[in-house]
Order: sequence, then structure tokens, then C-alpha cells
Amino acid sequence: MDFLQQYGFLIATMIQQGLLGLSLYAPLMAGQLSLASPGFYALGGYLAAVMLTNPAFEGWRSALGYGIYPLTWILAALACGLLGVVVGVPALRLRGIYLALATIALVEILRVLALNLSITGGAVGLFGIPQAFGFVDRWQYLWLFLPLLILTLLFFRQLSKSRTGRAFRAIREDELAADAMGVPPTRYKVLAFVIGAVLAGIVGSMSAPFLNTWNAKQGTFDASIAYLAYVLIGGSRSMWGPLVGGALLSALPELLRSLADWRLVINGLVLVVASLYLPQGIVGSLSPKPKPPKRPTPPPVSEGPSGPPYTSETL
Amino acid sequence: MELSSLVQNVLNGLAIGSVYAIFALGYTLIFSILGIINFAHGAVFTLGAYFTYTLISGQFENNGLLRGLNLFPQGSPLSGSAWGFAISALVGALAAGLVGVIIERLAFRPMRTRSADPLLALVSSLGVALVIVNLIQILVGAESYSFPEGIYGDLPPALLFHMGEKVIIIRTVQVIIFAVSMVLLLILGYVIGRTRTGKALRAVAENPGTASLLGISVDRFIVITFFLAGLLGGLAGTLVGSSFGIAGPYFGVTYGLKGLAVIVLGGLGSIPGAVVGGLVIGLAEAFVPAEYSAYKEAVAFALLFVILLVRPQGLLGRAQIQKV
Repeated sequence: MDFLQQYGFLIATMIQQGLLGLSLYAPLMAGQLSLASPGFYALGGYLAAVMLTNPAFEGWRSALGYGIYPLTWILAALACGLLGVVVGVPALRLRGIYLALATIALVEILRVLALNLSITGGAVGLFGIPQAFGFVDRWQYLWLFLPLLILTLLFFRQLSKSRTGRAFRAIREDELAADAMGVPPTRYKVLAFVIGAVLAGIVGSMSAPFLNTWNAKQGTFDASIAYLAYVLIGGSRSMWGPLVGGALLSALPELLRSLADWRLVINGLVLVVASLYLPQGIVGSLSPKPKPPKRPTPPPVSEGPSGPPYTSETL
Repeated sequence: MELSSLVQNVLNGLAIGSVYAIFALGYTLIFSILGIINFAHGAVFTLGAYFTYTLISGQFENNGLLRGLNLFPQGSPLSGSAWGFAISALVGALAAGLVGVIIERLAFRPMRTRSADPLLALVSSLGVALVIVNLIQILVGAESYSFPEGIYGDLPPALLFHMGEKVIIIRTVQVIIFAVSMVLLLILGYVIGRTRTGKALRAVAENPGTASLLGISVDRFIVITFFLAGLLGGLAGTLVGSSFGIAGPYFGVTYGLKGLAVIVLGGLGSIPGAVVGGLVIGLAEAFVPAEYSAYKEAVAFALLFVILLVRPQGLLGRAQIQKV
């Protein structure tokens, strides 16, 4: 128990960040670099925070008791799924870096809205969010995050074995070839995008009580980059990569706590060094796999990149 | 809208838009050569402002390791005259250019020599940005710094002219910003369009492989590009900083994101596109009515989102040809 008292919050945070890494990994399964996860995470969190604190929902809260918490998860999943479809259908016409930039724009627009609407508490945000199921200690959120993590991993495992998962991989490897083989790329790309959106939304709705306050800082560009770093440092080819990356990178500042001011500098250096020496990510380097049939070799050193940058095949 | 406020908005928009333009040029130059977005560009912007501030004021009072440092006990010789400001801004920009070269060495060259995934270069440039921003915070603290009063010397505080009954006010800073930006853009346009260096740069951007076969040292031109980009970014930082003050180490983050909107709006990798994009976003922001000014920050991104859906290659960009 002492161990949980001391490290439970950190472990819960590691799992929570790992889940957010997985929410960015979902669209990557279909080769789409989307940085929208923090937007959906923030939306899910705001939904839960508003339902748990706003006087307008007082009736619901007293009627449902603890049932309000699962309801916030479901509503967050629905809202994020819906927004995911609405944004995803037009945005996924874009490729590579253009999609990444469009999703950055989405996150920024949602952030500015959250900063200025009154229902979100403006710049101050919402606070005093009641603890889920009357939890007393933060480590008890492991009861929420761990099952969600297990469910998510099981879901991703089944998904990658399914026809849909194979379609995702086909699009990731070569969208045009997949299209030619009768895999409709747009439908699967939107599906992958929505899976990520729903996951981020649910994590957000669980995190609002976990963090006790919710404000516009939850969904920023910095967060987009942090999640991307989880995926790339952990490894973008397996579902374990984002999890390992998220857990390690979110624990890093805590482990470096004694270095106080320097810990973010070191965090930055870790990103530089890791992207240099672990190009396959941590999980990728640990699991040597037979290489897939090689595409035409890239041009030799110092000639720079060729072809359109950030196309799906670079992922 | 009345004509006078129209004119006022246009002038305000052009001033800030021209800064967006020169800032975004740094992104576009690097993108057109390497096909990579340098996410540390916002940090270079911040650094440029701090370098110039150091030269002009030399005082760090609030916080951080440099607290209490006073480089110029008798008052900076560079402070208080337009020439002094120009020299400091130039030196600050050159220093920012050098930082750009260092970033290339640390974050981009190692990736290139390993022909790594371009996404990793993106993460590594973000790592560099994180290091720079937090080093600034450790050194001078998180507080904002204002450039001392009268850094331009005794130029008249504002240009005024009457238009009907209204008075149009243009701050001197705005005129300087606009003029400096336009001169810079003209010089850059000349260098890239007319000189041998520019020709070589364009060749490298077009096809690095062929350029190197033709005897162009690709690595050298990449270094030049990063130097130019850093210089432009740093100068933009100084210009914005002298107008609004330096809002702490995270000063450049907002501009970094807006710069992305600018280059996508204009067309990724297109130099005239960056200029047009900057001016368009500056103007669009200037026309946001005062009662909605809180939403001003979202204008650039809303425009970005719309343009990506309607014309993904940007206003002046070339359509990307998909390999079959």
C-alpha cells in the first residue's frame, strides 16, 4: 500500500499518457499522421468536467449517483467520434504533413474556443471536479486506467488481426496499391482517425476527475508533440511502442525531479538523442523482425530526400 | 466599416503581416530544400529578441541565473539611437542565424547522414526547441522583458494624418517593421532570383542529387539556408519584441504555430507564397472586430483549415504530384 501511496499517481499518469500515445497510434496504423489527439482529449475532459460540476446537470447527478461517471465516458466517446467523422471526412483527403498541419489547426481552434467560452470556464477552466466513484487516493484511478488499457490493447490486437486491420496496414504501406486492390482508403482512414478520437475522448473524460481541474492547457500543440514523441520514441510499428514511449517519457520529468529546472532541458536532449540512435523506437529496436520486401533504396547520403516528404510510406 | 477604420486596419494588418512573412520565410526556405519543417524556428525567433535585448539593455533583473547581471553599467552605447537599434538588431539576427546553423548540425545533419525517417528529424528539432526554450528560462527566468523606452532614438512617436474627421495613427514601430520587412524581402528575392548563390540554392531545392552531380556542395547550401532562416526568424523576433516586449521564453511558440499557418496558406516551400500568406493572415487578424478580439488567435488556424480543404497546395503552391 505504501508503494501505491507513493508511486500510484505516477503509475496512473504513465498509463494515462500511454493511452494517449495509443490514440495517436490508431490513425498511424492506417499511415495517417494526425496530431488531433489533444483536441479530442480536451473535449472529452471538458464534457466530463461540465457534467460533473455545472449546476445545470445537478438533477442528472443526483438521479444517477456514481452512474454519472460511465455516462460521461459514453458521451465523451460519442461526441469525439462524431467530431472525428465531421472533421475526418474532409481532412483525410489531405496527405502526410498537410494532414498533420490541419489537425494542429483543429487543436488550436478548439483551444481558443475553450479559452473564450463561458461554459468551459474561460482561461481559468473548471475546478473542484468530484473524484470518480468517491475515490480517496489518486492511485485508485488505476482501477479505471488499467482496465481501459487492457481493453484497448485487446481491441488493437484483435483489430490488427482482422480484415480492417489488414486494410489499415495495406493503406499504410501503399495507399494507391491498396486502392487498386479494392480497399477503399477514405473509409478506412476515417475509421482509424475516429478510433483514435474516441480513445482520446474517453481518456479525457476519465482524466478530468483524476486531475481535479480542467483547463485549456490540456489540449495544446505541446501535447500533440508530446504524444507524437511517445509514438516515435517508443516505436510506431507495434501497439507496445506508444505505450512504452508514453510511460517512459511521462515518467522522465518525475525521475529527474531532483534536477529541478534542468529536467525539461534533459527531456529535450533525450528526444534528440533517441531520435538519432533509436530510429525504430525502443520497442522496434528490441524486436528484430524479418524486413519486409525492400522498396527502391533511398538515395545515398547527403543527397537529401527525394519524392514528396511525409507521404504515408515514410511512416 | 468606415473608410478611416478600414485604412487603419489595413495599415495595422500590413505591419504585423510583414513580420509573419519574414518569420515564415525561415520555415519555407528550409522546407523547400529539405522537405522538413524545422520546429525549432519559434525558439530561434525568441532567441533573436533576447539577443537584441541583451545588446540594447544588458540588464537581467527579474529571475534566473543571470539575475542582477548588468552588462552596461553606464547604459548601453547602443541604446537610444536608431543606428544603435539597427546595429543591435543586425547582430542579434546574425547570432540567431548562427543558432540556426547549430540546430542544423545537431538535429538535422545526423538524420540526413543516416537517411532517417523525416518524422524523426521533426521530433529531434522539437527536442532542440525544448532545450533552447528551457535554457532561456533557466538563464533569464520566465518573466517578460520590455525593450527600454526610446530605443529608436528621438524619432517622432507616431505618424498622424487626418482623414475626414478621424485621425489615423501609425506607430513608428509599425512603419519600421514594415519597411525593414519589405527591404529584406526585396534583398532575399534578389539573392535567390538573380545571384549564383540563389541559383545554386534553387538547384538544391529542386533536386539535391542532380545538384551534387553538377558540383554544388549540397551540405554547404543547406548550412547557408539554415543561417538565412535563423537570421530572418531572429530579426522577426526582434521586431515583434520591440513592438510588444518579449513575453518570456515561450514567446516564439505562438508565432511558430502561426508561421506554419502562413506557409501552408501561401503554399509550402513557396517564397512569394510565404509573403502573401503572411500579409493575408496579418490583414485578416486586423479586421477581427474588437468585441471578438479574443478569437483573433484562431483566425490564422481557421484560415489554414479552410485553405487546406479547398486548395491543399496553398494559394501560390504547386500541386503535389502523387507517385503511382
